[in-house]
Amino acid sequence: MNGWLAPKYLIWLLQGFGMTLALSASVIVTATLCGCLLALARTSRAAPVRRAAALYVLVFRNSPLIVQLLFWYFGVATLLPDAVMTWLNTPHFADVGMFKMYWPSFEFVAGWIGLTCYSTTFIGEEFRSGLSGVPVGQHNAAAALGLTPLAAFVHVILPQAVRISTPPLFGQYMNIVKNSSLTMAIGLAELSYSSRQVDTETFKTFQAFGMATVLYILTIALLEVVLVVVQRSGSRAAVRR
Amino acid sequence: MKINLLTAAFMGSMLLMSSLAHADRLDDIKKAGVLRVATFDSNPPFGFVDPKTNKIVGLDVDYAKAVADKLGVKLDIQPTNPANRIAFLTSKKVDLVFANFTITDERKKEVDFSTPYFASGTQFIAKKGTLKSPDQLNDLRIGADKGTTNEQQVRAQFPRATIVAYDDTPFAFAALRTGNVQAITQDGPKLVGLLANVPDRDKYEIPAFTISNDYEGVGVPKGEPRLLSVVNDTLTGLEANGTAGHIYDQWFGPKSRAPLPRLFKIGDPQKS
Repeated sequence: MNGWLAPKYLIWLLQGFGMTLALSASVIVTATLCGCLLALARTSRAAPVRRAAALYVLVFRNSPLIVQLLFWYFGVATLLPDAVMTWLNTPHFADVGMFKMYWPSFEFVAGWIGLTCYSTTFIGEEFRSGLSGVPVGQHNAAAALGLTPLAAFVHVILPQAVRISTPPLFGQYMNIVKNSSLTMAIGLAELSYSSRQVDTETFKTFQAFGMATVLYILTIALLEVVLVVVQRSGSRAAVRR
Repeated sequence: MKINLLTAAFMGSMLLMSSLAHADRLDDIKKAGVLRVATFDSNPPFGFVDPKTNKIVGLDVDYAKAVADKLGVKLDIQPTNPANRIAFLTSKKVDLVFANFTITDERKKEVDFSTPYFASGTQFIAKKGTLKSPDQLNDLRIGADKGTTNEQQVRAQFPRATIVAYDDTPFAFAALRTGNVQAITQDGPKLVGLLANVPDRDKYEIPAFTISNDYEGVGVPKGEPRLLSVVNDTLTGLEANGTAGHIYDQWFGPKSRAPLPRLFKIGDPQKS
């Protein structure tokens, strides 16, 4: 223990933290959307769709995430034509009003795709268990009231399924934040990567990794708070109805 | 315990006697007719065991042989590892160390160094034609090994370069092959070793510049000025008559297994 980190290194860590948040948020959005589709596909009436969805889950849930990330970053890159790789690896930006929108680096894109494909399986399964957690009587009651299958799904089944799957869903979001640290292997400068970089430059190992740990825990704690808020407002809305 | 004390006392007195009796190592070497040199035995191409002859060969061995020839004595090779180099010299087990011995201020406190006879530094591998001069580094994506001095040097000297750090050199090279980075950085001799095992190595090159310099010299025991000056004179002589370049080309020349441009000649001014 020899003093605190110089401001330069704190900025590195915060930049890494920003990257972790950006990656996690992007993955949470895409994996939630894809997870919905996957759950629908797995409960579809068409057998081929069901089987295809089951195969997807089998492949992506049963292989290590780090191998999947390496596959997307190194493996897929060898399949792409040289021109595409050159385009992906040169900076691009578009002017959007006052801001410049940067096209993310290939490391980010590969990490995003890899984490999305992996997390989709877990989120999809959480949705599916939410859907199957709604009692059969609810389906029957909705039908008896004369609701069309679509209306029954949107107004009766889905709200209950969402409430059942919300807590495990947030558990998956927390996993996404933690799993995003594996993208350091493909060179994405997120929080774990920058804490390691700070460690090798300053030799202040405790401070570097300690700071990273605290930032991860803060993020997870924030997600917990959001979960509590969502659950409360959800139950209040249910009471009002 | 008693025996240990006795042994220690005995060895101590022997050491004292030897340092008293042999005031000058150069005379001892000539009298014995043998120059004892420590080299690596598993660090190609500096010093390694030739599987055909079962003898230690390499760039360092060739330079040591040249010094022995100059003195007119036999060469006796003693294999060493990096950690033992200074101990071998201070315990007088060997007369000289030729083992890719980088000259540092820390080491200069323990041993003397000859004029450098080899230099290495942070270099790059890129696809042929993409990297010609260091200025281009600022606009490139550069792969590095996490936690190496190479990564830190590139970041410090080329602030606009995009550095992507990987877990090890093979990962960095995979990223270069797939086009995720345009160049990768490591120590020059390590890069040639890496390139030597690549099937399509014709596509890649090591541009002829370094962005940092480490100098390797001959380790000489402290307090042996005559021995040191003979080593220095021999090395400068080898450069003057072309032998030094010849030895270099044998291990790093264009036709060797691991071609590396010779950017440093014995006697060149040292860059920081």
